[in-house]
Amino acid sequence: MNDAVWVLTLAAAVSAGTPLVFAAVGEILAERSGVLNLGVEGMMLLGAVTAFLAANASGSVIVGLVAGTLAGGGLALVHAFLSVTMRANQIVSGLALVIFGTGLATFLGSPIEGDPLKPGVTNFRIPGLADIPAIGKILFDQDPLVYVSWVVVALAAFYLTRTRTGLALRACGESPETADAMGLSVARLRYVHVVIGGLLAGAGGAYQILARVPSWSGAGTTAGIGWIALALVVFAAWRPWRALLGAYLFGAALAANFALQAAGVNVIPAEFLSMLPYLLTILVLVVLSASSARRRLGAPAALGVPYAREER
Amino acid sequence: MRIHLERRLEARRGHRALVTVLSVVAALLLGAVFLVLTGRSPIAVYTEMFRAAFLSFFGITDSLAVAIPLILTGLAAAVAFRMQLYNIGAEGQLYVGAIFASWAALALTPGMPNPVAIIIVFVFGALGGGLWILAPAIARAWLGTSEIITTLLLNFVALYLMRYLIYGSASFWRDPTSTNFPQGKPIPEEAFLPVITSTRVHLGLAVALLAAVLLWVLFSRTRFGYDVRVVGDSPGAARYAGISVPRTVIIIMLISGALAGLAGAGEVAGIAHTLDPNGLAVNFGYTGIIVAALARSNPFGVVAVAILLGGLQNAGTALQSIPGGGGVPVEVSYMLQGAILLCALAGELFIRYRLRVRRGLPDELVEDDNRSAVAEGTKP
Repeated sequence: MNDAVWVLTLAAAVSAGTPLVFAAVGEILAERSGVLNLGVEGMMLLGAVTAFLAANASGSVIVGLVAGTLAGGGLALVHAFLSVTMRANQIVSGLALVIFGTGLATFLGSPIEGDPLKPGVTNFRIPGLADIPAIGKILFDQDPLVYVSWVVVALAAFYLTRTRTGLALRACGESPETADAMGLSVARLRYVHVVIGGLLAGAGGAYQILARVPSWSGAGTTAGIGWIALALVVFAAWRPWRALLGAYLFGAALAANFALQAAGVNVIPAEFLSMLPYLLTILVLVVLSASSARRRLGAPAALGVPYAREER
Repeated sequence: MRIHLERRLEARRGHRALVTVLSVVAALLLGAVFLVLTGRSPIAVYTEMFRAAFLSFFGITDSLAVAIPLILTGLAAAVAFRMQLYNIGAEGQLYVGAIFASWAALALTPGMPNPVAIIIVFVFGALGGGLWILAPAIARAWLGTSEIITTLLLNFVALYLMRYLIYGSASFWRDPTSTNFPQGKPIPEEAFLPVITSTRVHLGLAVALLAAVLLWVLFSRTRFGYDVRVVGDSPGAARYAGISVPRTVIIIMLISGALAGLAGAGEVAGIAHTLDPNGLAVNFGYTGIIVAALARSNPFGVVAVAILLGGLQNAGTALQSIPGGGGVPVEVSYMLQGAILLCALAGELFIRYRLRVRRGLPDELVEDDNRSAVAEGTKP
């Protein structure tokens, strides 16, 4: 069956957007608890290199995914410690996480630069659904991790709006004083969700290396998608389902390169196509903040503010 | 028994230096863990690094040469930090500064006297850096768009732009004789920065030091410097005092971008003598953020920290190439720089708070104690 270019492009957009889905949903959970973690790029990169090393050593994609996920969570724990226990400036701590994570990942990855990934991820056609014209190819003929990302989004959305802990989490991000008075442990909630955010960022990085890019290429492996994920959180107004939609929009920009090449268009130099996702992200951020009513929409009120119980 | 944090009324100077030194030690220990994990001896690696960076004449001068762009990008980050602004885009501003500076050197300076050519190159570097931060500055000043993500993302755009000019097209910057392995066109000798005899330390050092002094004067001796602090601490109060917040934001961000652009000009005219994307993309901008954070935005602190981290980066590069390096990749220095920043952040707590260990005191008493402390105005 010969698929139209636009169908293949949208399918590529879904795959390109999947690391963003994982990372953005993770960041939504962390930010909903009131902790801003700018370190997404660092966690993704460390997750990616760990996933690559583990997958090649074990010959199993699943081992790689698990290892990458844990690496992201481990790095997030550092941020949780600095921002919750040590009450450090969350912006500087997040930046430190990016710089340290990138440094550590490129250090660990330098011997394997250019090596091929031994085990591969294969697509799984969902019986029945994959046969729907166009939509089947775009959504239901993907690798299993794409389907996992949908489950993550659904769980996160359900958790935030329909469970007791989810409510506690939101209280913690909106008004930690109130949450504390309700008898919730602000520190514990923040620790847990920053780490969950890191686990998901690590999974996003693992996906990037296991399913998207063929080999480790240093900091270029993620090439800033961690930052795009951060912008996506604002775009999604801290809501998981919107993050999924937004991720595919940005995924389309990331996949535009592929699409135009497939369509035989070479008027635009490759370098300019590569700029597209970054410029689009900036544009989206500017437009969002231009309408002042929307600017604060959904942002947790206590985002980025360390909570010191004795200074209530 | 419970451990309890108490805010200090003010930080002591000696304390700060001690905590900074301890952070470096802690970072080296953290780095040692990963060196051992990858099968290397930390002691051997660190000894070799220290030797490469600081124990020979050329080691020291090379470290200083690396410190030059770091002082400028460090100042770029520090200027913005002063106002609670975060310019994470010094990396890209440096690239664009280099693009502008190399254009000016190639197109304008042939036949000019050396001093005039140098001034032109630096002016264009500053213009390029300033231009690259203009859009984020305007968006931040009038729309409140977070400058963190916008400045950062523009780094990637600048990187692709620079690659396009050298690798992706037959641009004005590219050497037409380099067909197989594209390179930048060499700039004319008129635009070369003078160097200290046979070393890589170039005139950019004087420019960087001058910038540090000027910024110190600006922040501690002028009305504008005072305004900047007011806007940073409380935009509301600033507005009430008749200070234009958007204007201050834009000026500060332009200064920040221009400083990073100067760093790019220095690399072109002082080191590479061409637009060399690979030589420029070595994290000077990102390291500048660490420099500013460790120096707590003090201009003279920036100079000192830049020399330390310049040594670290130079050692990393040297370690990769010398036979005694044991195949330690250059990235070891990036890892250590990040670790130093993380440890310094943790150390910050000990500057701001005092750890008190209390035994068997009921919670209510602890609470009361703190309420009165707050009432006395220990809150920041």
